[in-house]
Amino acid sequence: MKTIKVRTIVEGTVEGIALVSPIPISFFGGVDAETGIITDSENPLFGESLTDKIFVFPRSKGSTVGSYVIYGLSVNNVAPLALIADKAETIVIAGAILANIPFVDRTDQDVTISIKTGDKLIVDTTQNIIKIKKE
Amino acid sequence: MFLTKEQQKMLDGEHGHAIAKLTHLIVKIGEVNGATRLIPIKNAQIAGVSYLTVGEPIFSFFNMLSEDNVKVSVPSWLNPAGMDMKKWKEMGIKNDFAEKQRRIIQQYQEMGIQTTLTCTPYLIGHKPKFGDHLAWSESSAVSIANAYYGARTNREGGPSSLASAIIGFTADYGLHKKENRVPRIVVDVEATINHFSDFSALGYWYGEKFHGIIPYFKSIKSANIDQVKMLGAAMAASGSVAHFHIAKHTPEAEKVDLSHISETVTFDESDKKQIYNHFNQIKERVNLVVIGCPHSSLEDVKLIDSSLGDKSIKEGIKFWVFSSQKLMQNDEVKKLLTNLEEKGVKIFADTCMVVSPVVRENYKNILTNSAKAAFYLTREGTNKVSLLSLSEIIERVSE
Repeated sequence: MKTIKVRTIVEGTVEGIALVSPIPISFFGGVDAETGIITDSENPLFGESLTDKIFVFPRSKGSTVGSYVIYGLSVNNVAPLALIADKAETIVIAGAILANIPFVDRTDQDVTISIKTGDKLIVDTTQNIIKIKKE
Repeated sequence: MFLTKEQQKMLDGEHGHAIAKLTHLIVKIGEVNGATRLIPIKNAQIAGVSYLTVGEPIFSFFNMLSEDNVKVSVPSWLNPAGMDMKKWKEMGIKNDFAEKQRRIIQQYQEMGIQTTLTCTPYLIGHKPKFGDHLAWSESSAVSIANAYYGARTNREGGPSSLASAIIGFTADYGLHKKENRVPRIVVDVEATINHFSDFSALGYWYGEKFHGIIPYFKSIKSANIDQVKMLGAAMAASGSVAHFHIAKHTPEAEKVDLSHISETVTFDESDKKQIYNHFNQIKERVNLVVIGCPHSSLEDVKLIDSSLGDKSIKEGIKFWVFSSQKLMQNDEVKKLLTNLEEKGVKIFADTCMVVSPVVRENYKNILTNSAKAAFYLTREGTNKVSLLSLSEIIERVSE
């Protein structure tokens, strides 16, 4: 099992399957808040659902109202289990706090390379680590 | 982060769940950016108003806030909406959009936010004071507040400006700190810049080249608010530049520390021409002219009137000017408007070409004097835009 050190932005310890976006994600216009489905046609995850996954991405981009989309995901019960980014930015910090979704960043390696879609992950904010169980 | 007793109480939920969440949000954004304390803000300018830019998710958020009946604690103003709140049908806005837009405005209003619906609150009496800490979010308003007025604000998002408006604090980082307001690049402006569109071209050119870096402009002869707002808006659009200095004109320029300058660049006639050429996309018929990005002032309206003179806008071409409702109530403007409407010029309030859905959807070939507008209107690749000075535009579309 591999372990990655992280910084905790929003607390919570969860276990789940990774969904990895290799490119920056725009929550506004790129994710449907009602269904949790990725609607950005330029993203390789186009058509996939974030719901109950641990969503891994390098950083966010696009409009700051993306925070409201993240909040909407949780209100509509289609939120991801946790969020992991290389770099936390205001859009996702605000969204994850409003929605109370565990969120970690500033990893000691590039998360979108070290974590693969389908990997089993444990996000543990009590120890500020992610554990990767390779499938 | 150090919190006062009162701030700690807000974070601990003594003022309700919504206040705790919003305080948490501001504290975390601060921590991630290295802030060690929260500072009080004087006022807030809140983006995230047009239904086009916020969509359905905003309503879930409003529900959370209204459960705790939260109100803003400092004077707060709204950014433009997706339509003129009175003349929306005339713009071609659909009923469904209008209904959602009205609901959004009403929700903000219930929180005590003034429905100014403008990106230029400083043109309607809300001028920031030197040294004031603010939480403003529209990118051109942010840059004007910092540069022209010497107030201090980061480029907030819609959610963070609203959170700060409610709790009354922002985190002390970025442009709130003097050491982060120093210029890194000197721009020697050799090219002649007379028209508003020239200021816009200069801003666009700089922002594209030096993303996010504070410049110090020299050799600019005149820099009034209408000129500076075009410069700042374009720079924020092309390069997220949130602050700048102009020698002899902006309030921090004289005393600012110039020891961090790493480069001097020149903006000459060929640089200016290159920006105009980039946005010279219309070879065929023009459908629409859009003026007012940022929102037009009294001076802008006067200039349109004097440039048009006795001429009228040609049949088949629409000429739209965007401003605020408040400005349109000005007696001098009212008089000009009656005259301008007869000549084919329409003035819409509360909205603009960037945040209203109808401009992009219904008009293919667009002329403007704003590089910021040109940037946003061409981003999706469905519209063609030419950037021209107001006098060139009027010459092309009037008879």
